[in-house]
Amino acid sequence: MAIDFKESTGIAFQALRANKLRSLLTLLGTIIGVTAVIAVISLVQGMNQYVSGKLLAQGSNVFWIDKIGFEMDNEKIREALKRPDLRLSDADGLADALGNKAYVKAEASTNSEIRYLAHKMQRIEVKGVYGQFQQVDDQEIANGRPLADLDVQRRRSVAVIGSEVAEELYPGLDPVGHAIQIGNRGFVVVGVAKKKGSFFGESQDRYVQVPFGALLKLVPQTPSVTIGVKSVDAGKFQQIQDEARAVMRAIRHNRPGQPDSFGITTPEAFLGLWRNFTATAFIVVIGVAAISLLVGGIVIMNTMLVSVTERTREIGVRKALGARRGDIMLQFLVEAVVLSLVGGALGVALGSSIALLVGLVSPLPAAVSGVAVGLGVAMSAMVGVFFGVYPAARAAGLDPVDALRYE
Amino acid sequence: MGVLLELVDLTRTYRVGMEDVHALAGVSLRIEEGEYVAIMGPSGSGKSTLMNIVGCLDTPTSGVYRLKEREVSSLADDELARVRNEEIGFVFQTFNLLARADSLHNVELPLIYAGVPPAERRHRAEEALASVGLADRMKHKPNELSGGQRQRVAIARALVNRPSLLLADEPTGNLDTRTGEEIMALFGQISASGRSIIVVTHEEDVAARSRRIVRLRDGKIESDLVVAPGQHTRAAGG
Repeated sequence: MAIDFKESTGIAFQALRANKLRSLLTLLGTIIGVTAVIAVISLVQGMNQYVSGKLLAQGSNVFWIDKIGFEMDNEKIREALKRPDLRLSDADGLADALGNKAYVKAEASTNSEIRYLAHKMQRIEVKGVYGQFQQVDDQEIANGRPLADLDVQRRRSVAVIGSEVAEELYPGLDPVGHAIQIGNRGFVVVGVAKKKGSFFGESQDRYVQVPFGALLKLVPQTPSVTIGVKSVDAGKFQQIQDEARAVMRAIRHNRPGQPDSFGITTPEAFLGLWRNFTATAFIVVIGVAAISLLVGGIVIMNTMLVSVTERTREIGVRKALGARRGDIMLQFLVEAVVLSLVGGALGVALGSSIALLVGLVSPLPAAVSGVAVGLGVAMSAMVGVFFGVYPAARAAGLDPVDALRYE
Repeated sequence: MGVLLELVDLTRTYRVGMEDVHALAGVSLRIEEGEYVAIMGPSGSGKSTLMNIVGCLDTPTSGVYRLKEREVSSLADDELARVRNEEIGFVFQTFNLLARADSLHNVELPLIYAGVPPAERRHRAEEALASVGLADRMKHKPNELSGGQRQRVAIARALVNRPSLLLADEPTGNLDTRTGEEIMALFGQISASGRSIIVVTHEEDVAARSRRIVRLRDGKIESDLVVAPGQHTRAAGG
């Protein structure tokens, strides 16, 4: 098969240059389709890294037990809310049963206004903690001391505050030893936690930690607690989880055959939800990309059909000079593919720029992967081949006599 | 010298609506290698149809066409393309150069389809252009050339793959008289070098340059006369 390659690619680029606006419109569909694919794949991959990184940092061998568990369905949440509350005694029972194989903490929280002198912060999360919270949370103290067992036992009005609370409430001051008013009660700051950064734009340093007993003075009624369990041996995570479930069923008198009256949430469950979410995003984007590429392909096909008609005489001349069907076919296919590849290249550039820009202005690390770029280029080339075949076949099938006579 | 081509009782019928139009109604013709033949006739006489068939752009409805002893009347499209590429060089009234390509690339086209490697292609195209006196116009595009120069590029293109037959359709139709003379003089040189030429024309002056004039009317050969060299005769009319 002989192909006038220089001429084919030359014609495609010349046509693009000749009318920039028309070219942009011709390639718009392809550009949008490829841009969408590149940008979303890059962003989702970036977010995947981010999410698994953060979740692992939160402790991959910690699981939580509470009334509802990890549930997205409204009806099931309503049902779960009818279950009896989880109590500190449940946490104690679990801690006894698991012994030294696991650390167990309990926690409940409320939102409250906090203030120091004239400084005020609204709706700050106040966590009441109980049990082996230090081991479970891996909390690090930047300044002062952590809450001690004795603080919890005696329900002392002392608090450890997050680094952002420290900065806003005590500007230019060491908060340790100073008073803090939580709701309408007075507490004393004993420590400041190390900065943890943000998760999905939400700060993890805007909180106040107090003994569980002290929290009860701030809320109208005893809340249901969330129990956190950390397996001492990370390798026995699943085993500890199974044991904890059995123990909890016993403590809460769940009869055989009856469902759990509590829910267990693991980092895996979060990752699963995240994967579901990204899968949905992928499907939406594939849909958008498919429609854009379809439209883009049809526009390219139309452009090629116009080109074939305009160049009927040229096709006749080429045939007179010895071009076979396949030669003409290949020439127009190459033109269509060059067109769509230019669109694809612009899409790759645009999509990568969007992903990198998002990576710059947000905490999400955008990963522009070779796979995404390759996919974008391959997709646009396929569009060119698929939508170029019909115009090319029309050109190749022209009768040389008619084509030469065409005015 | 052998036989270049032989047509035996050739017919070509078109169907226009419900009616059959007999563009060629039994043409037999034999042309020797090295001949310089003019085909003449009023419009509708079938000379274009004859040219298309002789040029292997079209196939006859019935009859036999042998080109260099090969039966080509019933070849498939791609085989005809191969024959056109190797055996026939076309020169058109409107030049039919690719507007976007320079002279060199236009002349290279038949070699591209012949599968000649790029370096050799270029070399042969340069030679062909030089032989028509356009050595200094290789990089010019058609719109940068005069009509005469364009037709010279077309002639270089027609000759570059060393065809058996140069087939010209009204080669001076779009040129002024003086330029037309120049082109016809070039045809004379090409003929003198031994190349077979068929010119389809309705201009007596152009036909008179040839050695043999075949006149068509209503799809049949009306007359077939040998012209004395250099003699500008008004051959037998009708």
